[in-house]
Amino acid sequence: MPPTELVLQILVNGLLLGGIYAVAALGLSLVFGIMDIVNLAHGHMLMLGAYVAILLFAAAGITPLIGMFVAMALLFVLGMAIQVLVLDRVVDEGIEQPIIVLFGLALVLQSLGRIVLGSDARSAEVGISGQSLEIGPVLFSFPRTVTFVVSVALILATWAFLRYTTTGRAIRATAQNRDAARYMGIDTDRIYVITLGIGTALAGAAGALLSMLFPITPFVGWSYLLKAFAVVVLGGVGSIAGTLVGGLVLGVSENLGTLYLGGGFRDIISFTIFLLVLVVRPQGLFGTGGGDGE
Amino acid sequence: MVDSATGNSRRQYLKTVGAAGAAGMTGLAGCTAFGGSGGSGTLTIGATVPETGSFSSLGQDVRRGYELGVARMNDQLDQEVEIVIQDDESSADQVRQSLQQITSNNDVDMIWGSFSSLLVTAGSAFAENQGIPFLGAFFAFEGPHRNEGYEWTYSPFPKSRDVARSTQGLLELIPEDERPSRVGIWEPNSGWGAEQADAWESTLSDAGYDVVLRETFSLGSEDFSTLISQSQSQEVEILLSNPTPPGGITSINQMQANDYTPEVLKYVRAADPTAWWSALGQKGAYACMCPGWVPGMTGNGNTDLQSAYESEYGLDQGQLIPTAVGGAYNVAQVALQATQAAESTDPGAYQSALRETEFGTVIGDFTFESNGLPTEGELTAPTGQWWDGGQHTVYPDVDGDAAMDFEYPMTPWGER
Repeated sequence: MPPTELVLQILVNGLLLGGIYAVAALGLSLVFGIMDIVNLAHGHMLMLGAYVAILLFAAAGITPLIGMFVAMALLFVLGMAIQVLVLDRVVDEGIEQPIIVLFGLALVLQSLGRIVLGSDARSAEVGISGQSLEIGPVLFSFPRTVTFVVSVALILATWAFLRYTTTGRAIRATAQNRDAARYMGIDTDRIYVITLGIGTALAGAAGALLSMLFPITPFVGWSYLLKAFAVVVLGGVGSIAGTLVGGLVLGVSENLGTLYLGGGFRDIISFTIFLLVLVVRPQGLFGTGGGDGE
Repeated sequence: MVDSATGNSRRQYLKTVGAAGAAGMTGLAGCTAFGGSGGSGTLTIGATVPETGSFSSLGQDVRRGYELGVARMNDQLDQEVEIVIQDDESSADQVRQSLQQITSNNDVDMIWGSFSSLLVTAGSAFAENQGIPFLGAFFAFEGPHRNEGYEWTYSPFPKSRDVARSTQGLLELIPEDERPSRVGIWEPNSGWGAEQADAWESTLSDAGYDVVLRETFSLGSEDFSTLISQSQSQEVEILLSNPTPPGGITSINQMQANDYTPEVLKYVRAADPTAWWSALGQKGAYACMCPGWVPGMTGNGNTDLQSAYESEYGLDQGQLIPTAVGGAYNVAQVALQATQAAESTDPGAYQSALRETEFGTVIGDFTFESNGLPTEGELTAPTGQWWDGGQHTVYPDVDGDAAMDFEYPMTPWGER
């Protein structure tokens, strides 16, 4: 039986990791919930955000916590451009066309990343990288704790935006019933553009945060997409609170599962949970099936 | 180089031991004695190296080692030697595709490559299927040699058992009253991961060490926090693992954040590339690796390798040759000596030469068993240690300029 201190430490590690999973999934959940599109390029957009932060850090010493805002801005524009130039042309042609387009986009981003940036793993090692905070028997890794706090702040900000702003309410209305929203005077095409922009910007933010913790290569997109997808299914499509809880559940399950079953089971644990939720509660822990963005 | 720890003797009957062995011992320094391979026309070698993907940080070094070796082969042989190299993107599928393409477009006499057991076994499977002699370094996995019925695959490289024995030798450099005893093994969930962990566990347990932790992780995993916490909890003093280079670098950062420094750290493969130092700097110091060849080794052409590398690529004051260059160069030395012994580029003649020759290369003197394994006990796996930006031989205790005394214990990350 592992000692209590070890279990506590691993629980904390899992929670901190879960916060990171949650923010990685947030943009995917938003786009999925509101536009009914599975953004297969989400992981690759996250990779782009990570590279923006890494390059800013390498070139000018800008911490990814600041670089994150640059990544968000750039990816917001990229997301809007993708919606206007590509997805708008196929969005009304069923669910397959956007998926195929986004799959192609993911491949393009990965190949471009490999050609332009090379395939060596890079990360942004900032001043806090090696520091930690000791509370009782448990050690809080500083970079993970900071990333967790920023992740939760981003999740809360997204929730507040959808809840309290006019644009946020228009997004939620569009998610509930696109035609009815249009009849009520909402420019749903514009809402879609903004939504993909926000979803992409959140992927960029997640990437920037992850660049402080994990090595980034042009090939990481698919693995983060799978994790994010598991979180979205677990928490419930379009549910902000569900995304946070889904991320935490996944992070804790993976870490405790690794402790008790062994590290080889890590991904098996994630995807077993994913399958169980799909079978037992397909709408996820917090999902209503409607995707109202809350 | 004979590992005295095992006492195993070399193969008794070696048809061409004199010729090929002498070529290695003299550093291949003269073409008159063994100048003719007997073949005519061009000797064509097909190879893949990981210039992109997870092993890309070593791809360039492997290529350089091959190319320096081929230049030496061209100096030594009467026939022209050419090498056709493609990037395998660190992917087993791409290894097969690239080799298919190379052999379709060229009359290939021999295949080399790539890096890591994952990629080398893919190349080997192709070569076995085609009946082409195959030389694979950076391939410590013994299992395929024993289980796959290899006829054409030969691996001039220390294997899992040699790595484990070298680890024991390294630890025995520490005075007995200061020697740590609590061993932790982080085992990648791969065939070689399990084999290497078994070898470490049995060798070190037999030598009286206490293996207090053996936990698996998924290759490609980026979160080592659970393993770190478990190692802390078990008070692991000697940490052994064989992760990929990016994984190893990430784990060091996470160890620092978790305030855990083992007294001895040996990362086979992860600490091999120069990217280790460029990513970690002083945090990478003291880490040990077992890359097959390390600067500091002497004899068997090491001086020639040093001067050839320096002249081709330049070395700043104090800079050392990357380890993968030596491992790759050793492949070319084996190919050269096999070609000389075979006196033909016929695959069967190569096969006989590989089975019957004693080779002398920058990594040591050895023969092959019929399954392509270096004969047990002949090769000592040199252990290197990162120190001041260079990888230095610390075990065995050799007199090379780049060798140094084993630095122990590791200074905690936070104090560097």
